[in-house]
Amino acid sequence: MARIFQDTVEGISMARSALRANPLRSVLTMLGIIIGIVTVTLMSAFITGLNDMFHETTSFMGTDVYYLDKQSWSGGNWAAERNRPNVTQEDARQLRRRMTTARAISVSAGQWNIDIKNGTNMLQGIEAVGVDADYEITNSIGIEKGRFFATQELQSARPVCIIGYDVWDNLFHKGDPIGQTIRAKGYPMEVIGVAKKVGGMFGLFSIDHQIVMPLATFFNAFGDPYRSLTIGIKAKNVLTKEDTKDEADYQMRVERGLEPTDNDNFAINSEGEFDTQFDKLTSTLNLIGLVITSLSLLVGGIGIMNIMFVSVKERTHEIGIRKAIGARRRMVLMQFLTEATMLCLIAGAIGLALSYSASAIINSNMLKDSSVHINFTFSLIFLGLGLSLAIGVLSGLLPAWMASKLDPVDALRYE
Amino acid sequence: MEHDIVIGDIEHTPENSVIFLDQIQKIYKMGEEYVYALRGLTIGIQKNEYVATMGPSGSGKSTLMNIIGCLDTPTTGSYYFNGTNVAGLDDNDLAEIRNREIGFVFQTFNLLPRSDALHNVELPLIYAGVGKEERTERAYQALEHVQLADRASHKPNELSGGQRQRVAIARALVTRPSIILADEPTGNLDSKTGEDIMRLFAELHDQGNTIIVVTHEEDIARHAGRIIRIKDGLVERDEMIPKEKRALVH
Repeated sequence: MARIFQDTVEGISMARSALRANPLRSVLTMLGIIIGIVTVTLMSAFITGLNDMFHETTSFMGTDVYYLDKQSWSGGNWAAERNRPNVTQEDARQLRRRMTTARAISVSAGQWNIDIKNGTNMLQGIEAVGVDADYEITNSIGIEKGRFFATQELQSARPVCIIGYDVWDNLFHKGDPIGQTIRAKGYPMEVIGVAKKVGGMFGLFSIDHQIVMPLATFFNAFGDPYRSLTIGIKAKNVLTKEDTKDEADYQMRVERGLEPTDNDNFAINSEGEFDTQFDKLTSTLNLIGLVITSLSLLVGGIGIMNIMFVSVKERTHEIGIRKAIGARRRMVLMQFLTEATMLCLIAGAIGLALSYSASAIINSNMLKDSSVHINFTFSLIFLGLGLSLAIGVLSGLLPAWMASKLDPVDALRYE
Repeated sequence: MEHDIVIGDIEHTPENSVIFLDQIQKIYKMGEEYVYALRGLTIGIQKNEYVATMGPSGSGKSTLMNIIGCLDTPTTGSYYFNGTNVAGLDDNDLAEIRNREIGFVFQTFNLLPRSDALHNVELPLIYAGVGKEERTERAYQALEHVQLADRASHKPNELSGGQRQRVAIARALVTRPSIILADEPTGNLDSKTGEDIMRLFAELHDQGNTIIVVTHEEDIARHAGRIIRIKDGLVERDEMIPKEKRALVH
């Protein structure tokens, strides 16, 4: 053990003098590893950042809320699910009557890609959502300005709406919108509130990019009152939310008169569905990243191996001297292995420093206003150095082994 | 023993010799042909002898030196080092013998160019697993022994030829080996410096070291107490040199 330590110490001092003797060559060789480590860590930090942002986004939906839809959000058989019966107000009424483990049950309808106008100011591609009273609870709607709908407004299809934070920002430039009339797909309605900002990815699923109105108003504005609805079910207790889901499933089957052998003809979705979808996406990203980065690391490793072969060749005479005065095979092997590993570790450290600075710079400039940030975690240091170590050992092994096999007489004679 | 030999009035046996080569053959295969570098050579060397090995190039002198130095192994025959047959040992065992028992001094000094004198002298101790403190102290002592303690932090290219060779001698001494094996130690030095080095060898011999010098120069060989002449892979002549016939260095 002490011997191995001494061999390593000697290997390090030998590596240092070798690196000092050829600084330019060493730097050029390390470049491959540096680039590889920068790619690996930045890619990984970016994917982590993407994940963080996503989970932040979906958390507004709440982990204790289920969304009963005609179709599942993730990877269902879309063509088959399309022919299912629509989810109706009657379904919601029955669930409200029968379920005992739900704190609130809401009904909502959505329409994509609506243009909204405030005078000449226009915003395109907004989602309009028609809701009932319980929607405020199931979807945890916070109010930034104004108020939520009154029961009277909901029942009598009053042309009123609550706008999302980004809609407010874009349409009113954060001026006072309360009492103003906007047109959604030409249909005039009065703004009575602004929802609190949720933030997160794309604003796609969040209320930030939506306008919300009473369900009856929604049908008046956009028609098709027989479209399939979404029923939001919030569990009474987050700890027994699975029971709530099971109950919803059971009561829905009863309501629809399904036989025990029939499959569900509806879907109960949750935030988790998004996560599953998203995890599929990130694992694909990870895979692509892995392929790209392992290629660059492979190239870097080949560079190290090449330079180690050159190094062994150049120092054949020196190896001869070392062997003549008593270096065993293992010691010569260790010394060259240490040199390769040190090269890689230095390159890895440089790469880590570069990608850390790069992520800081990118975050504070290019991604300053973005909800995605590169998340350079502490574990990346271990990943980077671990990879460098592995590459050093792998690419140094063959040259070091060849050095250790050299015949002392031939090596001494080599000039 | 059958192959015991008597040189002068000393009878050499595997048991009483530091080095006893018994019927050593070394055969190289060059393409389809076999080259007989050594053809069954027998030599015994006692402790504290000062031996010069001479021979023209192609005589097998270098091969002999490599085998004595455990850098190479004989094709046939036995090699007793301090009574142990080392002819069949593997690379690692031979490395250990070279490390502990043999101090090499080469014609071209063979110092590590990027390491200072102290580290060069320390190197065999590193391979012997000697701890840092003891190692540095012993290396200093060895450098003092060759009067180079004040050059400890100099790199080889900052030293003269004679100084380099003295660093190499310090490196050979530092493990207190059984033999010092010098291959043309003055070959790259001017005659004045060469004399200095030979004086150092004489001192080391007086202090009890066993020294084997391989040379092709009669002047150098005449410092030794015994000259073994090699020709065509065999011992041509093995004779003791009376004190009065030796070169005077003091």
